[in-house]
Amino acid sequence: MKYLVISGNPCCDRNYMDQYIDRFLDGIKSAGHEVQLIVLRGMKIKPCTGCFNCWVKTPGHCLIRDDGNEIARQYIASDHVILVSPLIMGFLSSLLKNTMDRIIPLVHPHIEDVAGEVHHKKRYDKYPVISFLLEKESFTDAEDIAIATGIFQREAINVRSSLGFVQFTETPVEEVLHAINIH
Amino acid sequence: MRLTFINGSPRGNKSNTERLMDHFIKGFLETGDNICEIEYLTKNRHSLAALAEKFAAAEHVIIGFPLYVDAMPGSVKEFFETLQPYMGKENNPAMGFVIQCGFPETSHLRYVERYCEKFSRRMNCRYLGSMLKGGCEGLDVQPTFLTDKYYQYFYQIGVEFGKTGKFDEIILGKLARPEHLKAENLAQIIPFINQALWDAQMEKNGVLDRSFDKPLMP
Ligand SMILES: Cc1cc2nc3c(=O)[nH]c(=O)nc-3n(C[C@H](O)[C@H](O)[C@H](O)COP(=O)(O)O)c2cc1C
Repeated sequence: MKYLVISGNPCCDRNYMDQYIDRFLDGIKSAGHEVQLIVLRGMKIKPCTGCFNCWVKTPGHCLIRDDGNEIARQYIASDHVILVSPLIMGFLSSLLKNTMDRIIPLVHPHIEDVAGEVHHKKRYDKYPVISFLLEKESFTDAEDIAIATGIFQREAINVRSSLGFVQFTETPVEEVLHAINIH
Repeated sequence: MRLTFINGSPRGNKSNTERLMDHFIKGFLETGDNICEIEYLTKNRHSLAALAEKFAAAEHVIIGFPLYVDAMPGSVKEFFETLQPYMGKENNPAMGFVIQCGFPETSHLRYVERYCEKFSRRMNCRYLGSMLKGGCEGLDVQPTFLTDKYYQYFYQIGVEFGKTGKFDEIILGKLARPEHLKAENLAQIIPFINQALWDAQMEKNGVLDRSFDKPLMP
């Protein structure tokens, strides 16, 4: 299995999260899997401008010159993408969300009926499973988690993928690895 | 009544968000003494803290955005993060939303609607409601009998809001149709959208035969 971990932790003094990611990566490696880490902070990712050139002008390729295309390239080359972020005001960091907005070149503009709802056609034959590893805020409650998870489920369908897991960094690394069947 | 409309579309004033809200604002301004200020996130990207200050000082705020990958665009999320210092404060403005998307069904917008309501509560802002509208990509290739109907609803919600300070629930409900589409309706509209919206643009750009290219293939 080829894992890609994308860290949307915007702030280097959230040490706990970065250390957690390190131990998480070690666990995946020692189980014999290939894993790569992308740390978004410090990379250049501009927000999507909604021009749709990646569909109607240069199919499959975004015209913004920054790290967006390279991240999309690594994303589509993986079997399982794990998106890591603190919850900030109840949702993923804007750093991570801006990155997710930039993966739409990976699907095709045409729509089709996917389980009774409109979604985009696939551009590639195979898409990675996507999962989320989150750090709670002091005020995170069950409703926040239900809303965020509802959005993640929809996102997984929308990028023609499936949702692997949603886990929180309050759970020890070993338990998370165990829960997702990495031993 | 004073309204601040914050347009969060990455397309700024040339957006579907703007087109729809033009009608709302027109209706809102029909009641004397009402004032509307418009702010664009695209113009405030490097001064979000100043925009957050304006937000906190406002009376009524409507934030508008397109659905991006089932949620708010990253740039709108960044603005929400900038509001954190004002979370829970007394005297925060009343807050409402306009959220629209490309896909025709309103079902795509329901989780982000819940997020926005929760966000308002957390901010200690009175929640005005959310105007939700699907099927908004390519407003200019849609038949005018359809678009005129949506525009009329936005206008009516604006008029009512201008008079009462509330969003009219009945018109919000009409605007939010269809929640889902039946298989036979999907089968009807899908080829139309693929052709009139997407193939037409690809053809104009001479890339229709390359539409399924896989430039990032591993
Ligand atoms: C990056 C990106 C992601 C999008 N994701 C969705 C989506 O998940 N669901 C949907 O129905 N429309 C989606 N859309 C379509 C927009 O919501 C739609 O085009 C909208 O009308 C644009 O509004 P604006 O002109 O005000 O920016 C997406 C568009 C872009 C550019």
